[in-house]
Amino acid sequence: MAVDLTTGAINKMLNGEVASEADMTPVLQVTELKLIQSKRPNQEAINRYKVSLSDGILSQQGMLGTSLNVLVTSGNIQLGSILRVTQFVCNLIQNRRIVIISNLEIIVEKCNIIGGTHVQAGMPNEPGQQLGGGAGYVNTQSNGGYEQQQARRTDLNGGRYGVSANLPQPQVVHNNPDAGRYGVSANLPQPRVVHNTSDAGRYGVPATSPQPQVSQRYGTGSGYPETSPSIRPYGSAIAGYGGSGLEQARAPATTAYSRPVQSAYQPQSPPMYVNRGPVARNEAPPRITPVAALNPYQGRWTIRVRVTCKGELRRFSNPRGEGKLFNFDLLDSDGGEIRVTCFNDVVDKFFDQIVVGNVYLISRGSLRPAQKNYNHLHNDYEIHLDSASTIQQCQDDATIPRYQFHFRNIGDIENMESNSITDLIGIVSSISPTGSIMRKTGTEVQKRALQLKDMSGRSVELTMWGNFCNAEGQKLQNLCDSGVFPVLAVKAGRISEFNGKQVSTIGSSQFFIEPDFPEARELKDWYEREGKNAHFTSISREFIGAGRQEVRKVITQIKDEKLGTSEKPDWITVCATISFMKVENFCYTACPNMNGDRPCSKKVTNNGDGTWRCEKCDKCVDECDYRYILQIQLQDHTGLTWATAFQEAGEEIMGISAKDLYYVKYEHQEEEKFEDIIRSVTFSKYIFKLKIKEETYSDEQRVKATVVRAEKLTYSSDTRFMLEAMDKLRTGDANSLPVKTESSNYRSDAFNSGIGTSGIGETASVDARREFELPAANQVGQYGNQYSSGARPVSGMISCNACGSNGHVSANCPSLMSEPQGEYTQGRYTGGGMPRQHVGGY
Amino acid sequence: MDTSSPSAFVNGALLRRYIGQKVRTVIQVIGSDTGSVVGKSTDDLQIVVRGSSPPNPLTTYLEVIGIAESDNSIRAETWTNFGNSFDPQNFNELCKLANGEFKHMFI
Repeated sequence: MAVDLTTGAINKMLNGEVASEADMTPVLQVTELKLIQSKRPNQEAINRYKVSLSDGILSQQGMLGTSLNVLVTSGNIQLGSILRVTQFVCNLIQNRRIVIISNLEIIVEKCNIIGGTHVQAGMPNEPGQQLGGGAGYVNTQSNGGYEQQQARRTDLNGGRYGVSANLPQPQVVHNNPDAGRYGVSANLPQPRVVHNTSDAGRYGVPATSPQPQVSQRYGTGSGYPETSPSIRPYGSAIAGYGGSGLEQARAPATTAYSRPVQSAYQPQSPPMYVNRGPVARNEAPPRITPVAALNPYQGRWTIRVRVTCKGELRRFSNPRGEGKLFNFDLLDSDGGEIRVTCFNDVVDKFFDQIVVGNVYLISRGSLRPAQKNYNHLHNDYEIHLDSASTIQQCQDDATIPRYQFHFRNIGDIENMESNSITDLIGIVSSISPTGSIMRKTGTEVQKRALQLKDMSGRSVELTMWGNFCNAEGQKLQNLCDSGVFPVLAVKAGRISEFNGKQVSTIGSSQFFIEPDFPEARELKDWYEREGKNAHFTSISREFIGAGRQEVRKVITQIKDEKLGTSEKPDWITVCATISFMKVENFCYTACPNMNGDRPCSKKVTNNGDGTWRCEKCDKCVDECDYRYILQIQLQDHTGLTWATAFQEAGEEIMGISAKDLYYVKYEHQEEEKFEDIIRSVTFSKYIFKLKIKEETYSDEQRVKATVVRAEKLTYSSDTRFMLEAMDKLRTGDANSLPVKTESSNYRSDAFNSGIGTSGIGETASVDARREFELPAANQVGQYGNQYSSGARPVSGMISCNACGSNGHVSANCPSLMSEPQGEYTQGRYTGGGMPRQHVGGY
Repeated sequence: MDTSSPSAFVNGALLRRYIGQKVRTVIQVIGSDTGSVVGKSTDDLQIVVRGSSPPNPLTTYLEVIGIAESDNSIRAETWTNFGNSFDPQNFNELCKLANGEFKHMFI
């Protein structure tokens, strides 16, 4: 027996009987699939897929969650695919009902459209009608309309869907809700207007439960017993086929499909809905929406969540005035996480109320696309609360974990892109004293580094900034001093590429010292057993000397190696001659007003009355500054490039302040002296430190080089440099040379981070692909994880819902959450069929 | 370029390879007499340079081009003051390279 669509499901969605997966997880067919691109200013276009879902009778418009896009692009979902919608919400958007699907199971990838055409449903019923119960339903469709529909349908049949052409004139059923509707339909001239009621007949259960035959069919492959239908249907059906090859299972399904198409439209036993009473609505107190299912299209929602992290109150000022904000992170019992941001008045309302660790009911608020720069949570959205939002503390709920980690081992971090956020757990082998570093802005910040090791046999340098140095840093120091090697779990550390790979704390990082969860205990055991004596390879380069290491390049390497095109600017030094200099506009008039500890330096305009006006400061000054903005052409033995030198670098090059030079040229009009100065600089050799970054000017990408420092070449030290380089060349270590080799320092960095572009070998591109796929898979995992707690089969492979990698199911996934003690029972994991295990591979 | 009488870059130790031939070296001046200057080669050996009319005054470093007479003396043809700041190590390395692995690149 092939798959049956959940007949009547759409109807129930329309009349509000089914609002989310808690009510039912229907099996539906995709009858339309359309890509929709939404563009927001300053953001990448977001692709979404619009679908029409059919239950064989009616079809309903819906949107796929962006996390499911992969399934469409990979071809797993296509026109005709039959899906079980395991996580969805029915929303009313501009008077149309739209199903937002955040998770689904693919039952059949390829299938002909079942049941010919479908009336597009979408207009919701009048509220009055809904409340009126079964008696209130009236068949509002006229006969004429009905015939029209039928005619259209037949067209389609003849033209597009050959399959249904051999059907005995199936009839169209329109979208009036169920109970009354079937009573009426009996009066229609052609009683063949039928529903596929065989489902109900066969199972004797209303369609609100998942159809168990699915699991039965797949279940045979893996030996799991058939799961009985349950009202909380998450994933039980899917568990059955974790082990069986999907390809196999799929084939019979497709071939078997022609039969139900026919049978569904054979005249059937009389509809059994006739005497059903009014639809009962779920009257339970506020229905809790899973965090993972939140989306901007929902009007009202309530989530029950634990606050895992609370940010500090921050103030900002922009042209519209002063403001303040704070944010906090939430976690719910299904492992969904999301960030909440409050502004201004709302801050006053909620700031004191929010306490980390407490559980709250939160409702209302708007969902905005997450600012991925600041928000690293696994959620596409974040919540902005407003004055209508409510936060209500509620009893602690042990099913909501206190923390959720997605641990990656240190060996993996080496291959992760810099700037990505990760959780990691390891043994602290050493910790350095606190040092302080002067920021560019002139403020001082504390910094402290420690070495973290884990079972991957690698170690990494973890840099703590600010408050971490004293509180957590001191605690770790004390532990280390007392001869203990403490376990440290880090939530949300940022991977950076500074002397190899490093992890640093960010504002929302959290430290857990000697935590009490399984991963920590396991790690401790391992360290006692073998880790202590093992040799570790560090993925961070040991810190040598002060400051960034110089990367000497030649000019053509800027282009050849596509410097500046990655996320971060590239910093290089070149030894080059200034071959040309633009002498007009070598400086600009700048605002001298002090802004904090630095001058404003924005351009000021001449008022004509001897005063200068700064737009930014909104002030006029009597005298302005002159700051360099030198356009120079640099040339070395390989080629030339343009570069810009601003104030400080400009002074270093010219050896005279911009103001003095301005006066020479314009005030004193000493043209000859001016030319002498220029001439003394052009055709001299300098060591330039350049910042290379691609920038966009009116849609045009240009790689800009900015001189950060310029130093007149001293031949003696340059000779030493060259001798050293020759020495390295002779000893075969060509990497450190500024020569055009693909394997120079820079190149290899790019390999690791997966941003390598052209000219990279096979391995690198494989690497890059893997890198890029991970986040996407992760997101899917976020949604899929808790609900289907099994493997999500993607093109015949088993992949883990939690971490996205292949080869294990999420029940075994090392990246799964860590729960509070005592709550970790087998019960929660029964859906996956297996209790959680720690696999050796972690 | 005049290649008729090339002069080899030498330090103190390399001088003996070029006895009777034209060489070029830089010394740090230790003392001078009439018609001769005593100096230290870049590899810390003592070299005596004879010849007419050394420049006066002498700077710390002095380049001489002339004929190698023995393994520690040169008859100078050209004297050039090289100033007071000169990196003898770099020159020494140059001499080694020019007489070693990269000899073929030098005349």
